[in-house]
Amino acid sequence: MVLLAKIALGFGATVVLAGAYTFHEGVLRVDVDETHGRGQHVHVWVPAAIVPMAMHFVVPRGRMLEAEERSAKFMPLVHAVAKELQKYPEAELVEVHDGPQYIRVRTHNGNLLIDAEEPGQTVHVSCPLATIDDVSRELATLAPAS
Amino acid sequence: MTSRTRHFFPVIAFLAASFLYASLGTQAQTSSAQSSTSAHGERWLHVRVISTNSKGETVRVNVPLELAEKVLPAIDHDRLHNGKVRVGCMDCDGVDVRTVFEAVRSSKDGEFVTVQSNDADVSVMKKEGMLFVHVHDKNKPKHSQVEVKVPMKVVEALLSGSKDELDIVAGLHALAGQGDVELVSVKDDENTIRVWLDSKNVTTD
Repeated sequence: MVLLAKIALGFGATVVLAGAYTFHEGVLRVDVDETHGRGQHVHVWVPAAIVPMAMHFVVPRGRMLEAEERSAKFMPLVHAVAKELQKYPEAELVEVHDGPQYIRVRTHNGNLLIDAEEPGQTVHVSCPLATIDDVSRELATLAPAS
Repeated sequence: MTSRTRHFFPVIAFLAASFLYASLGTQAQTSSAQSSTSAHGERWLHVRVISTNSKGETVRVNVPLELAEKVLPAIDHDRLHNGKVRVGCMDCDGVDVRTVFEAVRSSKDGEFVTVQSNDADVSVMKKEGMLFVHVHDKNKPKHSQVEVKVPMKVVEALLSGSKDELDIVAGLHALAGQGDVELVSVKDDENTIRVWLDSKNVTTD
């Protein structure tokens, strides 16, 4: 009985520690909802902490590789913005209303939130600034030396 | 051995709980602390464009000056390098802009340019360390008004770079030292545009 309790406690502590580590950076969230056509809905929730880790294991090929190399030269800028934005965890940055179209970019609880709405489609993205910082720094190393 | 191991379990449980609490709690504490700091100490540049057309377009942009100062040097594109923008007309048609500015800076307050015509009225004046430009366009159905107010220190900082360059980062740094000020105001029959500086991180207008 005592042995079972020890195993349960050890397992529980491990789960708690793993869960705490996995979610300590928050969640990367992408929601895309289409109300026209076939009305596709895409909802992705990923623990932000695993994104920089996963990048070490993903081997980009073909167009993905090309896109990565092209975007790499903008990464120092993205990195600088993400790093500085972490000092402003609660801020309204951009808000544009253009008839039925609406775009809002803000920071909330250390996350960068982007909301875009247009007739028939809404997109909501939420990403921890720390994750953008990590990923952009990682991708910046891929930029060809000039 | 068994009793010793048994003694460790409360410690492990305590450490696990502490780690979980710390990881969740630290984030909340950090965000609240930073939030209050940014609300009181930072300088924000605001841009607001309101269109009175049928769509009713509205644009609101709020940028922390410190962020702009840090990020601009990271942009290396076209004429913008290292926080400085290269302009080709610092010596426009034989008029040296720097020399003119230096003359204005060292002179007493007053109205330097006044143009009154059937199309528009234009005036440029210096008052209490500020350079004012006022344009009243009479051609449009509803007369348009453009008012620009720039601290002289900001103009001086902008022109502090080498020849044919405007030092934007130096300009922003000088701007951060100013109090709350409305820099640009444009009103015409289609749009209302405002650019101003204050310490609020949201547009409250």
